[in-house]
Order: sequence, then C-alpha cells, then structure tokens
Amino acid sequence: MTITAPAVSVPKRRRRLDLNASLVVGVVLTIGFLAIAIISFFWLPSNPNIPNIKARMMPPFSPNHWLGTDGLGRDIVAQLMVGARTSILVGAGGASIALVLGTITGLVAAAYGKFADEAISRGADILLSIPGMVTALVLAATMGSGAFTTILALSAFFTPSFTRVIRSAAMGVLQEDFITSAKLYGRGRLFILARHVIPNIAGVMIVQFTLYFAAGILTEAGLSYLGVGVTRPSISWGMMLNEAQQTVGISSPLAIWPGLAIVLVVLGLNLLGDGLRDVLDPKLKRRSA
Amino acid sequence: MALYALRKLVFFIGAVFVASVAIFLLIRAAGGNVAAIVLGKDATADAINALATAYGLDRPLPVQYFDWILGMLQGDLGQSFRTKEAVADLVVGRLSVSIPLALSGLLLGLIIAIPVGTYAARNVGKPSGAVLALISQIGIAIPVFWAGILLSVLFGVRLGWLPTGGWVDWSDDWVGSIRSLVLPVLSLGLIMAAVLIRYVRSAVLDVMNQDYVRTARAVGMTRTQALLQVGLRNAALPIVTIVGLQIAELIGGTVIIEMVFSLPGLSRMILANVAAREVIVVQSTVMLIIVFVIFVNFVVDLLYGILDPRIRNAA
Amino acid sequence: MTSRNAIEVRDLVVGNGDVTAVRGVSFTIPQGGRMGLVGESGSGKSMTALALMGLLPMGWSTHGSVLHDGVDLVTQSDKALSSRRGRTISMVFQDPLSSLNPVRRVGDQISWVIRKHMGVDKKTAEQQTIELITQMKLPRPEQLVRAYPHEISGGQRQRIMIAMALACYPQLIIADEPTTALDVTVQKQVLRLLNGAAHDRGSALLMITHDLPIIAAMCDTVAVMYAGRIVEMGPVAEVFRNPRHHYTRGLLDSQPTMDNIALDGTSRLVSIPGMVPPLHDLPTGCAFNPRCAVATDRCRAEMPELSGDTLKSACWHPVPNSSEVAAQ
Repeated sequence: MTITAPAVSVPKRRRRLDLNASLVVGVVLTIGFLAIAIISFFWLPSNPNIPNIKARMMPPFSPNHWLGTDGLGRDIVAQLMVGARTSILVGAGGASIALVLGTITGLVAAAYGKFADEAISRGADILLSIPGMVTALVLAATMGSGAFTTILALSAFFTPSFTRVIRSAAMGVLQEDFITSAKLYGRGRLFILARHVIPNIAGVMIVQFTLYFAAGILTEAGLSYLGVGVTRPSISWGMMLNEAQQTVGISSPLAIWPGLAIVLVVLGLNLLGDGLRDVLDPKLKRRSA
Repeated sequence: MALYALRKLVFFIGAVFVASVAIFLLIRAAGGNVAAIVLGKDATADAINALATAYGLDRPLPVQYFDWILGMLQGDLGQSFRTKEAVADLVVGRLSVSIPLALSGLLLGLIIAIPVGTYAARNVGKPSGAVLALISQIGIAIPVFWAGILLSVLFGVRLGWLPTGGWVDWSDDWVGSIRSLVLPVLSLGLIMAAVLIRYVRSAVLDVMNQDYVRTARAVGMTRTQALLQVGLRNAALPIVTIVGLQIAELIGGTVIIEMVFSLPGLSRMILANVAAREVIVVQSTVMLIIVFVIFVNFVVDLLYGILDPRIRNAA
Repeated sequence: MTSRNAIEVRDLVVGNGDVTAVRGVSFTIPQGGRMGLVGESGSGKSMTALALMGLLPMGWSTHGSVLHDGVDLVTQSDKALSSRRGRTISMVFQDPLSSLNPVRRVGDQISWVIRKHMGVDKKTAEQQTIELITQMKLPRPEQLVRAYPHEISGGQRQRIMIAMALACYPQLIIADEPTTALDVTVQKQVLRLLNGAAHDRGSALLMITHDLPIIAAMCDTVAVMYAGRIVEMGPVAEVFRNPRHHYTRGLLDSQPTMDNIALDGTSRLVSIPGMVPPLHDLPTGCAFNPRCAVATDRCRAEMPELSGDTLKSACWHPVPNSSEVAAQ
C-alpha cells in the first residue's frame, strides 16, 4: 500500500479575534481620560462652580457651552473636566493604598509561614464579605463625607482582593526553582521577596491596579450619587447625576453626559487591564481570549 | 460532610465576631466621641456628657461592645437617639422592600448570565462570542444607578409604562408594589448579569477543556449533552463561589437602586440616619446587613460541599 | 465496504488552519488486530487518535476517510458519532484522574454508558457494572461503584476507564498512553488487563505510546510517526529487528535495554540529535532530514512515500537490511 501525500489544504479557520484590540482601545480611552484631567488644570471653559442665572439650562451645542449648562447655569464640559480629576484622585488613590497594603499582606501570607497565611487569608475572606458600599456609609456617618473618606473606604474594601491575588501570585513564584537556588545561596527572605518575587508579580500588580482603579471610579460615582462621596467645590460625575435628578429630572440630557463619561472611562480601564493581562501573563492568554 | 459543615459554622461565627469588632472599632476610632457626633458641632460639653452618661457611652469600650452584642443577640438593636424608636422596628418594615429587590435582582442576573455566558463560551473566537463579550464589558462599566436612570427615562418617562419611583405597600396593592419593583429589579439584574456573564463564560470555557468532558463525549454524549450534563454541573462550583462573592456587590447595588427609584428600603433608612448622625442606628443596621452577607456565604460554602465531593471529604 | 477491518484510515489530514498536525496518514487494523502507534510528543499520534474518535479540540478539522463499521466516520455528524463512541469504538485516555468526572460516582459513570448504548434498564445496567468491575479485578465492587474518582487509586481509576471503554464490546479500542500517568508497579497489571479484556471481547486495539517494549509485548503491527506522517509500518518483529527508516533505528537505539546499558559507563545508549521540528516550520522533503546522518539533497527536496511489501518505510536511503549486510 502506497499513500499519496494529499495536498495539505485544511480550510482556514477564522482567526482568533486579536486580543490586542482591547489593549489599543483601552490605551486610547485611558490616555484621553488622563489628558482631559491634566488639561483641566490649565484650561476650563468656565468656572464649574459659579452659578450663572442668565445661562441656565442651555441645550447642548450652545455657543460657549458645547454640552450646555445645568439648572444653575454652570457649564457641563467644565464640570465633566473637573470631575475627571476627582475620579483619578479617588479611584487611583483608593487602588494605590489597597495595592500597598495588599502587597504587604499578600507577601507576608505567602512567605511567612502557615500561621500568618491562615490568619491573613481568613481575615481577607471576612473583609471581602463586608459590602464596600456599607463600609463607606459607616465612614461617612462618623467622619463626614468627602474625597478623603471615600478614598479610605475604597482602600478598606479593595485591600482584601489585592491580598488574595498577590498572595497566590507570590506563592506561584516562590515555588519556582530559582527561588530554591536563591535560598541555597543563603539569600534572606526579604531579599528574595524584593529582588525575585516582586519583579515577577509586577504584571499581576499592574493589572490588578488598573481593574480596581476602574472599580474605584464606579464606587466613587455611586457614593457621590448617594450624597456621601465628594462634595462641592470638588465635582464628581456621580454628584452631577444626583444634581440632575434632584433639580431638572432624569429625562434631561444632563443625566446623559456624566453617565457616558463614567462608562467610557471605566470601560477603557477595564479593557486596558484585560489587554495588559494578556500581554503580561501569557499563561492566561488562551483562557481569557 | 458533618465535619465540613462544622468547620464552616465555626468560620461563620468567627467571621461575624471579627466583623462586629471591626464595625464597632471603625465607628469609635474614626468618629471619636459618639455623643459629640450625635449632637453636632454646636453642642455644649454638658449636653454631650449628659447624653454619654444616659446611653452608657462613657463606659470602657469592651463593656460597650459586649453590651451592644448581647443586645443584638437578644434582638435588641438599640434605639434612635432622637426619636427613641427601636432600631428593630425601623428595620423590619424596610425589609419587605429591600429583600424582594435584592433577591429578584440576583435571580434575574443568574437567569440571564448562565445561558448567555454558556453560549458565549461555546462561541469563543466567533463574532457572536466576541459581541457578547463586548456587551458584557460595557455592562460592567455602566454604573447601576445610571442604568436605573436610563431605564426609568425610557419605560417611565418616554413610554409611561411603569412608575419612575415611589412605592405602594404590599398590603395596599401588591400589583402596584410589583410594578414599582420592575424597573429597579431590571436595573440591578442587568448589571449583575453583565458581571456574571464574564465569570460564567470563563468557568464554562475552563470546564469545556477538561479531560472529563472529552471522556463524556468518548463514551457517547454529543457535544451539547457533554456540556450540559457534565460541563455545567462542574462549572456550577466556580459559579456558586462567584455568586457568594457578588452578594456584597448586590447589597451595594441595592442601596443605590433604592435611592434612584425612591424606594423606602433599608438603604434610605441608613442614609437618612447617616445624615442625622444616628450612630447607633447605622452601626446596628450595618451589622445586620453584614451578618446577612456572611450568612449567605456560609450557605454558599455548604452548597459547595454538597456539589463537590472532593471538598466534602477533604475537610 | 470491507467489513473485516476494525478500522481503515486513508489519507488522514488533521489541521486547524494554522498548522497541520497529521499530514496524510493511512493504516488498517483488521478485526481483533493490535496495532501500536509510536512517536515522540508532537508527532501527531494523539491527534490521529482524537480524529478517529471525532473528538478533536475546537477549531480542528479532519480530511480523508476513516472507515469503521461500514461508515466513513469523517463525514458523520456529532450526533451520529455519539451513538458509536463507547459502543463500536472507544478510547482510554492518558490521565485517569482528570478524565473521570470528579463529581459523579464511578459506578454511575460506567452504568450510564451501558444504559445509553445497550438499551437496558437502570437495574440491569447497575448489575452489569458490578460484573464489569469484578472482571477488572477490582476489590469490593459493591462499594467501589459508590466511590468518587478522587477516592480511589490511579491504577483503579484507569481500570474504571477501561471498564467504561469495554462496557459495550467495541470493535476498536484506542488507548492513548494508558499507563504513562500510573506508577511503574501498576503499569504492567493495567496493560495486561487491557490486553486480556480486549482479547476476550474480540476488540481490536490501537495502542499509542512512546514506550517500545509495550508495543513489542502487545501488538502485531507497529506504525512509527514523525512530524505528522507515518515513516515506517509493518509487523512488530520485523520493524524492531530490521528497521529501514533511520528515525526508527534511532528510536530503537535510544531505548535502554539490558544490552546497551553498561554499568561501567561505556554505555552505547545513543540519542537522536536535534529536536522534533515545530509543525508550523517543517523542513522541505523528508521532515527527518535535519536530524538524519545520511540525508542527501534528495531528502531535502523530495518527500519520500511509504513503500515496501510487509514492511513499509518512507526513506530515500533506507537502513541496509541485516541480511543484505550479511550478504555483502
């Protein structure tokens, strides 16, 4: 029996949708968001906090007011621009503190023995079951509302997630052979954590930070919508939605713009985080495809 | 199984204890003098001391803590400083709004997410799967209160089909109650679904690539049968875990949605008391919510033990 | 339509659009025959097995024909195939722990197969399950049926897998490295059981492994795969004694035996230089040419076909037959 080699022509399978599409869109949206916040320090269409009775409820595309004005005549574009600052301050602030605390606790849990691990992991489990919104309400009740309280509340309920993720990533690294050899060379635990573990989990840390930056913006908007987040003269997109609902009713276009801003920014950061995960952690690439 | 359940029960009690200490300390440490908070900035020192003495707020913290916890265990949640109403009475009426809202929202989220997430997993790499993944991504980015606003603009203001807010008590007109709940539940459920679709999709995707699904096909199941009979049963384990973790999110969503639709639920009461600086009311109500969430997680753990023989035996 | 063969594979090509893992494979296993399929990992042997079963991963497709029980399996729908899998053709996988459903009792997993294909009621299926487990020489069958996969040993799990595969007296059993994941001490028992049980049922066996002694002990014919093609095929004794392909020669030479392991360190155990080429970057001509000591320009330009009578090999410069060597 002789076989003939068939022309090897298997129909082309549709290629996997390019994963980096999410990275590109994420980067574009995020850079736009950061740029608007930076520009707001140098230029604003008008002061977003000073009422202007003559220019109340201007419709979108009015001269000098591209997206119109609110019930007190304050410019929407200016408010949105300053709101971007608040989102970054609170979202990134909360995520940063959680990153620092979560890294410390996660590394201790991973590297300092079974007892530390058990105590920290159980603690994280308990904290995770406390609704973040409720923590924020408690803090607002006792400390008064404001950006600082909001950041504190966010970091309090983001930290356990960071602890968990960083603990399991660090445990993965600590099982690698090069760690064993570093130990054999007599390297101390802190040296190993700083020089070997942290560089190897940096990707996980960046991804986690990005995703919780987004979650922080969502939560801040929610708290400010409830009136227990930031207060004027700071401006928050959530607060703008609350004011729109209180003063002019939800069917006004004023209830559109801040929501759209939140969606675009949060979507951008989430896409960026997912895209970075695919780039930084090839092991996860197939599954999240 | 009994040993496993016992371990989880111990963890449940431990968690409630730790959470109660955390809440108590958070309020005392962050707020300082409770009596001063309650009375506000203009209060005189005498008035503050009088209130502190009257409510035992000048006693050592451990004594105050155990007093509070023992009261909670006997159903005494404390009382409002101003109206003197018992917190328990304040809470009970509100639950008939909050519980149906939260549970229906979760249920709707699951009813949408399980089939859609499974479908997305089966069509990974195809346009339909990619579109679903994108819709889910966008859904995650939508704040639940904005979803509520958009839905009430569409169905309440423009179409006029459903109320944009307000509440009729169940005993007065239960159809009206349900009509009031439709949009809030829809908002909550759709946003929950967006989050859950992602997890269901990745759980199903993970399970689909497992050897045992291939074995199921190797002994005579079709692709679909293997996915539904073997795959979903195994995917239930990670999905149940995620639902447990999402309960905290669900509570947060419920708090906000009650505000969007002006529903007289638990969160309106908490917010009013936050504004009025009724520290004890907030403390006790929040503790109740947290106990509820921890309890749901306890139930989830038990369910997990029933679903997975490996976990059941490992304990 | 040849009904005398358990399976007849012609020009099998398996690919996913990016790479082609199996590039034109043909072989026949007669009823009750035993064939071994050897090759390094990445040679396409497992993909061949999955293609025969119609169990390729998402995105992979099969071309060519696979005649079995009067039908061409390649053209069958998933539903039509599902009524055959486990009944006329079945498979034992490599890792019995990950291959059994972790959340169902092993007895239920076996009796499901019996009920599905034999059309018997639940009670009969359960009885037959116990009988099967007894035949698999497993202890205390009545208790074992109630166990979950994680509660029993690796060897026991693989016996359960074999019981599932054999439950319906299939014409062909495909075993893909059935003992690789097991302890060395139980490997031989499991193989003996598989061999005996297949024999009792008159089932043909396709044994996929990289372990040449297993093939020598269990099979009548052997096919050697390299980079998605069969490079040598024939009766086991002949292929192992007088391989014509340099790859087969190399495989045999790299097997440790009592003869070539010298305890004084002068071992003549050799390895094949180089590595298996990646599927997306195969050399032209004979895929083995970069690693072959006698490769010529012709080997680099033209792909050799399988040729020969009882022993077929695909090589432009075959290894001289030992009888030919003796004659020179």
